[in-house]
Amino acid sequence: VSARAVAKETGARLAAAEPLNATLHWSQALLDAEAARVDATPAPGPLAAMPIAVKDNIATVEQPTTCASRILEGYVSPFTATAVRRLRAAGALIAAKTNMDEFAMGSSTEHSAFGRVKNPIDPDRVPGGSSGGSAALVAADVVPAALGSETGGSVRQPASFCGVVGMKPSYGRVSRYGLVAFGSSLDCISVFGRTVEDAGRVLSVMSGHDPLDATTLDRPPMPVPTPLPDLRGLRVGLPREYYPADLHAGVAAALQRTRAAILELGGQICEVSLPHSPYAVPTYYIVAPAEAAANLARYDGVRYGPRKVGPGSDIRALYQATRGEGFGAEVRRRILVGTYVLSAGYYEAYYRKAQQVRALIAEDFRQVFASGVDLLLTPTTPTPAFRAGEKTEDPVSMYLADIFVCAISLAGLPAVSLPVGRSDGLPVGAQLIAPYFEDERLLAAAAAIEGAVQPGAEVR
Amino acid sequence: MGERMSIGREQVLHVAKLAELAVREGELDRLVDQMNRIVDYVAQLDQVPADRMAAPFLPGPASAALRKDVPNPVPLARPPAEFAPEFVDGFFLVPRHGAMEEL
Repeated sequence: VSARAVAKETGARLAAAEPLNATLHWSQALLDAEAARVDATPAPGPLAAMPIAVKDNIATVEQPTTCASRILEGYVSPFTATAVRRLRAAGALIAAKTNMDEFAMGSSTEHSAFGRVKNPIDPDRVPGGSSGGSAALVAADVVPAALGSETGGSVRQPASFCGVVGMKPSYGRVSRYGLVAFGSSLDCISVFGRTVEDAGRVLSVMSGHDPLDATTLDRPPMPVPTPLPDLRGLRVGLPREYYPADLHAGVAAALQRTRAAILELGGQICEVSLPHSPYAVPTYYIVAPAEAAANLARYDGVRYGPRKVGPGSDIRALYQATRGEGFGAEVRRRILVGTYVLSAGYYEAYYRKAQQVRALIAEDFRQVFASGVDLLLTPTTPTPAFRAGEKTEDPVSMYLADIFVCAISLAGLPAVSLPVGRSDGLPVGAQLIAPYFEDERLLAAAAAIEGAVQPGAEVR
Repeated sequence: MGERMSIGREQVLHVAKLAELAVREGELDRLVDQMNRIVDYVAQLDQVPADRMAAPFLPGPASAALRKDVPNPVPLARPPAEFAPEFVDGFFLVPRHGAMEEL
């Protein structure tokens, strides 16, 4: 199949998917130009003519990169993210830039300055977030894979809500060069796929050391994972803190079915404990806003985007007016919380304490894996996708949608969300977590489980 | 977190000033309420025993591998002159803005 034909088909699917509001920038002309480039390459590479959508906080030079924020409206980056450059070099077509929670802050893609994204399975529900546009495009079969970004679960959680695969690699596996900074010690470019294989192929191409990001590890790229034929000899731990008594019945049933599939494949199951994981969400909501408050200081009306002139003519009035009007409510809230926890008199009590609890959370994982457990299995989310508007007035209840994904981000570990069943028609995701830099083995095991569960089947 | 007090309007305005964020009078009460809910929620870290404190944790390489200290061309798709109003002798020229000159 020629890339030109793929570009035409992808354009038709993007147009048909417009009611989801999942894209911020795309055009048939750009798709055709992408295809012409691939068709002119003699050996286009491992992702030849694969259309891939890219979250709008990852820099591309052909379309704007707005992070779904008014403060970056119309901004076009003068450079391309390393991950995108590598996908292109492997023959991929960049299909579209996708809608997201503003600056990746949110769990429902309702905090976009350009309107909420609808879940393709039920348009009254959210697709999850913050990478909701990318998840929705894969779920709606517009593209086989899409890039998102994770700071605290922003790919795994929407993958679970939309019924697709979402893989967050180990921190340092994929270059952050060209990913707009949110929480720099947490941010990871991550990938959605229709299948584990699609996600693995894309991650393999993106991975590897980048001299432009000193936090990437100097190790070779991840090989494309070969699915395990079975799980014999593999020990899968169930951390009891991730199976509360009040877990949603459909989620619990889907996880029960996943455990049965693992046993059928010859894997062993054991119960383990990660005692500090219940503190992951409060830890995250100190660490991430603190880093965000520092990273977002650069949007001041001088260097990027639109400028608002405030009352008076001094430079601070310019900053305050631009930032006050340019950022949406959730971003402003997080900047204020981040500034508060870093301010004199509170730094020790909040930020330093959170950094120390973060170390305890990471140490729990290290000890469990050192005890001979190969992988951990948990629900990805406490419930299936919630209704739009249900949590927008209560930030803490929105934050709790990330209760099972945050700890892994704080520990820098790789994890994948797999669709494992439906509850009242809504997708349920199971999360598999692996030791640091075991991304390939994680995906190889996930592919075996993927073949043994029926993601489209009702669980009760 | 020791002696915590709830956050009041004055404190939100002070933090907003530190963050260079204009806060509209009409949204202040709601912000005060939401910030208090968030800060009350994260205060549960008080329950983690202090005697079990570890050193701060950061993922990624133990130490950042630095590049050789040689100037490389910045990999830009367009030259700087194309994305700034004015670019002369390696410098961006920006409009003079009010009291900026006096700071």
